[in-house]
Amino acid sequence: MAHSEASWAIYFSLACGLIVMLVPLPVESRLLRPDFVALILFYWVLALPHRVGVTTAFFLGVGQDLIEGSPLGLSSIGLMVATVVLLSNYQRIRQFDAAQQSLMILVLMILSSGIEQWLRDGINVPAASWTGLIGLVVSALCWLPIRQVLRYFRRYYEVT
Amino acid sequence: MLALLCLLALFLYRDHPRLTALQKGAVDVVAFATGIILAPADAWARTLSAMDSNSELREELLRLEQENRVLKGRTQRLAALLTENARYRALLNSARDIEEQLIAAKISAISPDPARHIVVIDKGVQDGVREGQPVLGEEGLMGQIILSGDFSSRAVLITDSAHALPIQVNRSGLRAIAEGSGALDRLLIRHLPISADIRVGDLLVTSGLGGRFPSGYPVARVTEVIKPGGAAFAMVTAIPTSALDHGRFVLVLQSTAQSEGES
Repeated sequence: MAHSEASWAIYFSLACGLIVMLVPLPVESRLLRPDFVALILFYWVLALPHRVGVTTAFFLGVGQDLIEGSPLGLSSIGLMVATVVLLSNYQRIRQFDAAQQSLMILVLMILSSGIEQWLRDGINVPAASWTGLIGLVVSALCWLPIRQVLRYFRRYYEVT
Repeated sequence: MLALLCLLALFLYRDHPRLTALQKGAVDVVAFATGIILAPADAWARTLSAMDSNSELREELLRLEQENRVLKGRTQRLAALLTENARYRALLNSARDIEEQLIAAKISAISPDPARHIVVIDKGVQDGVREGQPVLGEEGLMGQIILSGDFSSRAVLITDSAHALPIQVNRSGLRAIAEGSGALDRLLIRHLPISADIRVGDLLVTSGLGGRFPSGYPVARVTEVIKPGGAAFAMVTAIPTSALDHGRFVLVLQSTAQSEGES
């Protein structure tokens, strides 16, 4: 296989993102939890666009829905759209400095969760209020540390 | 292609038995995995409690014994009242009281979705938990089961903004619907006429209409009644009697004659 170099590392980090979702937080402070799943996905799309793409985003979204208990496919579409945007712009986004990149991630987060909230409205599942934006900002702030950790991880295990 | 699949799953096949089966399996997995994640914290709590001094434990035991005695005393009266009530019902020729059984369960996970109030409890189909059964806290109604896997199930709390339940004002018998607000300490009672007999401090109990929740369980206490001049409806908010974000132990109510209530 052409892409057999340490695939496990990618799936392992994505699984870690899902597992972090499981940590129970008090009901009212859940919206402060950074969206690690999306962040880790965005990192891999940006770093290895030839290996991680829309299909990964789809399965990740399904996993997220299964954990949340929301109707299946709800989180997938937002993640997939954001992934498509990333895939068509990854060369540009890689050149951005830290602040610009975080901002870009924030925009992608707003895009993907905006689509999700819109779908929720469509199928009568309660949507997040505007306070949900706090979570997205927190996520964007977490982008740099996540990128640093995953970059080290990727180089250490030579994921290509 | 995949996006189409998602849309299909969302809009057409949301209740497809295979998808539901997948979700039921996922509940079990989520509960199990959360258990593993929480294992160190639980072990730490156990170690701490193992180090409680003897005298503290004895004190605790004494307190619990006292509480138990008080509760037993109350149940004695309850038994008498129940038989009395049954006699009256027989006289009135009305339906017999539904017998209820309780299943003790523990909250094992909380859904990470901040827009919903959904918890996972550690009892499932194997223990007799079914969809639609009410979940009780120490002080009153907490929610109901929406999905039951084999070993654990998912319950929605009464404050979830997609949840509503039929209630009754304990003092006046006024019936209404209490909707979840999405905030843990607020239930909304809408569409009550301005002249409705409802006051701050009133206890709201389940009315039993609809057959989902048996009647008479405390739900909430009215905190605010706004009757704007000229408006048709009063705006009433209430706070749930059971602390929804405290404690890990809940009871699932299993009524043996539920089909009777639902018909």
